[in-house]
Amino acid sequence: MVRKILGLTLLIGLCSTTAFAAVLINGAGATFPYPIYSKWFDVYHKMNPEIQFNYQSIGSGGGIKQITAKTVDFGASDGPMTQDQLNEAPGRIYHIPMVMGAVVITYNVEGLDKNLKFTPDVVADIFLDKITNWNDPRIAAANPGVRLPSGSILVVHRSDGSGTSYIFTDYLSSISSAWKAKVGKGTSVNWPVGLGGKGNEGVAGLIKQTPGSIGYVELSYAIKNDLDYAELENSSGHFIKPDLDSTAKAAQGVKIPDDFRVSLVNSSNPDAYPISGFTWVLIYKDMEDHVKGKAIVDFIKWAIHDGQAYTEDLLYAPLPAEVIEMIEKKLEQVKY
Amino acid sequence: MNGRKSFKDDEFSFDMNTMTGISSAWSETKIKERVLTQFNQTRARRNIINATAVYGLSFCAILVLFCLFNIIFHLLVQGFSSLNRDFFLQLPKPVGEPGGGTANAIVGTLILLIVAVLVGVPIGLGAGIYLSEYAHQRFAQAVRFTTDVMNGIPSIVFGIFAWTILVVPFKSFSALSGGIALGIMMIPMITRTTEGFVRMVPVPLREAGLAIGTPKWRVIKDIVVPSSLGGIVTGIMVSLARVAGETAPLLFTAFGNHFWHSSLLAPIAALPLQIFSYAISPFEDWHRQAWAGALVLILIVFVINLCSSYFVGRQRRMFSSHK
Repeated sequence: MVRKILGLTLLIGLCSTTAFAAVLINGAGATFPYPIYSKWFDVYHKMNPEIQFNYQSIGSGGGIKQITAKTVDFGASDGPMTQDQLNEAPGRIYHIPMVMGAVVITYNVEGLDKNLKFTPDVVADIFLDKITNWNDPRIAAANPGVRLPSGSILVVHRSDGSGTSYIFTDYLSSISSAWKAKVGKGTSVNWPVGLGGKGNEGVAGLIKQTPGSIGYVELSYAIKNDLDYAELENSSGHFIKPDLDSTAKAAQGVKIPDDFRVSLVNSSNPDAYPISGFTWVLIYKDMEDHVKGKAIVDFIKWAIHDGQAYTEDLLYAPLPAEVIEMIEKKLEQVKY
Repeated sequence: MNGRKSFKDDEFSFDMNTMTGISSAWSETKIKERVLTQFNQTRARRNIINATAVYGLSFCAILVLFCLFNIIFHLLVQGFSSLNRDFFLQLPKPVGEPGGGTANAIVGTLILLIVAVLVGVPIGLGAGIYLSEYAHQRFAQAVRFTTDVMNGIPSIVFGIFAWTILVVPFKSFSALSGGIALGIMMIPMITRTTEGFVRMVPVPLREAGLAIGTPKWRVIKDIVVPSSLGGIVTGIMVSLARVAGETAPLLFTAFGNHFWHSSLLAPIAALPLQIFSYAISPFEDWHRQAWAGALVLILIVFVINLCSSYFVGRQRRMFSSHK
């Protein structure tokens, strides 16, 4: 009898709700912005204890699927939803940019004392398996004075579907007609050459271990893992080192469409790093739940203003002022 | 093969000699010698084969131990330093803030397991007893086949199943859907172990009950089940330990939660999910937390296994006292 009572108390204790009337808002999607989202949600929860944001990084594709099925209150993605996906959703979905990120070309070549420089056609041809050796004259042409070793190039790409791959293949499609015709863009594509690694950390790990390898990861992973990364020639002919500033430039002086579903790769801004992009949250224009809807809109307003201060520490590029203005106007149309 | 055959032939000729009484000292010792050398040769060969088999098998056994201890050692080295009071009592902290814990995930995992037990045990138990005590051969065969197939289904499929029937219609991820997904996974395992242990109860024991006029249902309830209880509970514990570490079925059901769950109908944190999302992050601090989480998870499984071996021991003692 005593045992039964003990067991029952334990059961009730475990199942009993930690009782405070909080609003729990669930979101799911992209892995890339997870660190900053979790930081934002934590700070925001401390300021507004009654509001809890719960974000799970299940991948961009998962985020789109869950918001379409309405199992979450908001989704998140690194690639914009296609027109077909938007038509499939039971309501009008808005894309709201939150921060910007960059994809860098990272490599493992021994004996270099400065960053390599790549022109777009060289990048495309390496990933198309047309340039296969590090001492290729076309690589050397952009790197005068650098002694490049002889050795074959090992291409590393993502094996899983990812927003990072989307931005990178979007870039390759925009600069190379051969890539566009042969491979195209997408969260997972049929790579002409190379080894697959799972996730940013998988690619970073493979490159770290394999001399002669080249691949692409989010900027923050390259910095955190101490990888070398290349300066890239942009559309204005300047070699640009990827950093937060040159990433943010990609959205400045560029026409941003009203629905924010825009590709920022190969930006026309002369100081912009060419493989940059937004990461979006996905919300319904007409929110069913007044309390949750208001909380989400209030949070986004906070994130695009005060929240941007947290971007630098976590290696994201902040939104440019003109985009923030556009988002504010957009949020006014959201009904809750 | 050859040596063995000739040994037999020698044995035969030896017998023939003694039986027919043609016994000369010379031939007898010579034959004895030959038999003895033959015998020694085969014995040496047998010893070699025996030794190879024993050492080979024990090598395999040591390999199993080595893997297990390697994993535990690795977990201890990587995870132990991050285990502290906060880890068990605090909620997770965002990147860049040291400390924080996984209290909600530990509690979440326990709640998911309780729900799983409530779903899986009654059905698995009932099905197992039915198969052993009542079912017709052909039907039992069909059910057995189904449970075996179910055992082989990848666990993510159970998650998608629960997502389709429990998450989408209710428009919300929930602890309940996660627990049910785990519970469904437990059913085939419990069914098979229960059936096996119930079947092992000696027939005379049942007959003794029936002989004094006890109805069959009472024989099952008061004799068959209690005397196989240790085994049944072990089966439940083993299946519980297996689902405790499952991540895939929880991704689209329990979903994970950075806070305390507000009810069983809301998303809930779970250790495997927490480990998964921490492990794939670029942050050193989160990696440490993931190791610590893995260590706690393996400790939970370890405790469950200890309980099951206690029940097995009890079962054994009970049966030996019957004799």
